[in-house]
Amino acid sequence: MKRRSFLKGTLATGAAAIAVNAGLLTPSTVLAADWNKKAFDAKTTDDALTSVYGSAGATASADVKLKAPAIAENGAVTPVEVDASGITGVESISILASKNPQPMVCEYTFGAAGVGFVSTRIKMGQTMNVVAVVKAGGKLLKAEQEVKVTIGGCGG
Amino acid sequence: MAIQIRMRGKAENGVAEVKALIKHPMESGLRMNQKTGTPYPALYINMVSIKVNGVEAITSQWSGAVSTNPYMAVKVKANAGDEVVVSMTDNAGDTGTETIKV
Repeated sequence: MKRRSFLKGTLATGAAAIAVNAGLLTPSTVLAADWNKKAFDAKTTDDALTSVYGSAGATASADVKLKAPAIAENGAVTPVEVDASGITGVESISILASKNPQPMVCEYTFGAAGVGFVSTRIKMGQTMNVVAVVKAGGKLLKAEQEVKVTIGGCGG
Repeated sequence: MAIQIRMRGKAENGVAEVKALIKHPMESGLRMNQKTGTPYPALYINMVSIKVNGVEAITSQWSGAVSTNPYMAVKVKANAGDEVVVSMTDNAGDTGTETIKV
């Protein structure tokens, strides 16, 4: 048994090393430099927000309009809409799912021609809060809503 | 293989809503293959850029928690006839670009 697992181990690492040498892995690592890996790997919403904005202290605001279903029959396609067009100077919008293994779902950064509105569909493993965080004028604003996920329920 | 994007956009009072449907498996890397017990390798779109007349309007970073075959709707400042380009890259290096006139 031991010999077998040892062989398996060496073979696997050997293959990975060959892949790196052949340059097979380089394209993805180069691209990942731009991508905020730390934020997306974070295990809690606070950690994720700190990696993106340098602070997790967002204040709840009614100007951040978060639209998500109260009950999602299929958590794999939960429609989420964040409308922050009522706020001036929106710099960024993030959507997080609080209990996902990696809560950070997506982050949008707005240039001069962008309007603070985002709509997408996200995956959710279980019932949890969807959090929308908006950065505008140096301030962090957020809106939160619970979404019940009923996988395996009626029609599941 | 290029990522397939279907796009639609309409300008109204200087603001255009751009909707895109993207064909992509968006594999998070957490889903297990029940037969072998090993996870499916992660494969998802991580960078998205939206340009209006060649100027960057919105850049976005995604994780594998965005749904399979993602839907995206955003609003940009654009007038009728302006050119909106959406381009994206996944973590395997595949890219996709689509251009429309709103």
